[in-house]
Amino acid sequence: MEPDEQRALSELRLLQLADSALPIGALTQSFGLETLVASEMLSVSELAGFLRGYIEESGFAEVVFCREAHRVVNTLAATFSSNRWVGLNQTLSARKTARESCAGSAALGRNFLEALIALDNSPVLRNALVAVKNPPTLVHHCTAFGLAAAVIGIDEDRAALTYLHQSTANLISACQRLLPLGQTGATRLLWDLKPQICDAMSRSKHCSIDDACSFMPLLDWAAMEHPALFTRLFIS
Amino acid sequence: MTTVAAAAHIKAEREIVPSRTVDAALSLSFSLEPFANRTTLAGSHQEPPLKVVRAFTNEDGSAFVHLHNVSGGVLGGDRLATSVDVGASASVQLTTTGATRVYRPRASVEPAYQRNDFYVSENGMLEYVPDPIIPFSGARYLQRTTIHLADGAGLFWWEILAPGREARGEVFQYESVEMKTDIFAVGRPIASERVRLEPLARNISQLARLGPYRYSATFYICRVGLGGKAWVAAESRLRQLVEDLTIPGELLIGVSTLIEYGIVIRFLAHRGRAVARVLYFLWNAAKTLLCGRIAIPPRKLN
Repeated sequence: MEPDEQRALSELRLLQLADSALPIGALTQSFGLETLVASEMLSVSELAGFLRGYIEESGFAEVVFCREAHRVVNTLAATFSSNRWVGLNQTLSARKTARESCAGSAALGRNFLEALIALDNSPVLRNALVAVKNPPTLVHHCTAFGLAAAVIGIDEDRAALTYLHQSTANLISACQRLLPLGQTGATRLLWDLKPQICDAMSRSKHCSIDDACSFMPLLDWAAMEHPALFTRLFIS
Repeated sequence: MTTVAAAAHIKAEREIVPSRTVDAALSLSFSLEPFANRTTLAGSHQEPPLKVVRAFTNEDGSAFVHLHNVSGGVLGGDRLATSVDVGASASVQLTTTGATRVYRPRASVEPAYQRNDFYVSENGMLEYVPDPIIPFSGARYLQRTTIHLADGAGLFWWEILAPGREARGEVFQYESVEMKTDIFAVGRPIASERVRLEPLARNISQLARLGPYRYSATFYICRVGLGGKAWVAAESRLRQLVEDLTIPGELLIGVSTLIEYGIVIRFLAHRGRAVARVLYFLWNAAKTLLCGRIAIPPRKLN
């Protein structure tokens, strides 16, 4: 295959991996948003500000982990370090102290990795899945995405940008089901948030895992309280 | 300016513009006294302004220590390190003598840095129940805390972050507070936080952060080796208790099991007093539930 065609193929694969139609259960998680709406703390008028803050905090931290997972793969040698991969996911599990957020991210990560292995029988992806069986380790969506992007030949910046864009789009989609937010309003929201997504992508470039900060105590509380909601649209 | 007024002015200036920096370490090691079932302070190394006067013995045999900072607070450029080693089966309770005041530094001075390292050996117990951290207007503060728990080790650990000196109307006027916290159980991370607050640069009262609340607090309860079912049951019990304590707009409390060996309780509050009261209540409830013993509130010197 010509280099141009190879690049085009990688781009098309990336589009599919970032598509909300990828059957990994992305639309079943609200990551605490449902509690904020149920508690009447989050309304349509506050959504843009809330999502900007989300991208600056949690979105940014996840992108740092996505980048690090991308770096775990040595594309030239088509190998990866299983110790770094396991350690990275363990660290992220510890960072997600609210069980609901951790479990949601891990469900998506596991489904994402398995879905991709079914499509592309890459030895790196198979090794990544084997490595997290012993010791039992949760695989997170952002790390699985970064790893997959490296395997299909997507560069780190594009992987980080695409991951954050699709995770923001998924949150907006959740809000469409929770709030009186129409298609046009949702489209406008995602359009207007793109500069923040680009900013988080740029800031994350030289940030280490140790410095990947996120401060969202209200959303943490909301995630912790989600199982206690009487009626739930999203998984707990 | 009168002498009295000048003295007051100089005093105030010293309070907010430190003229010196320090590099100090405090190292404490505790061990269980054989046959006495009593934990003692077996060794200490103290450099001013960090100081420990003595270890008291609580009625349950645990050692109880006040951590002093005799300079009255954390000053710009300070590099402070506290290291605590809890020996096998020893039991230690640490508290502060008052709030940790973080003063505004000179512009040219590095942020104040406090490093805390805790090691809890097999079947040891550490209860770290300090007063709040209060970053003053313009303060820059970096804190790194690492807690290593061995097999069977237990932990009750909290941290309360105040918005500033509220009585002066000083709310979220600090420049930056960065807190890095890691808890490891037998070498594996079970809880980790990376928080950087820059209220003058990023709106801390945004809904994605604190929303309408001013205080945030985190309470970790861990016991290495205790199975998942016990933690789920503990979460359920604590959740029942906090249901009656939650007051939307005043105090929110969330409870969650960690990935293993622990529970985290998060607090968001409008007023600090509510947090302290509820922390003591939940500490006692959790200790009774998990250890079969009541919590002993620390005696305060002031």
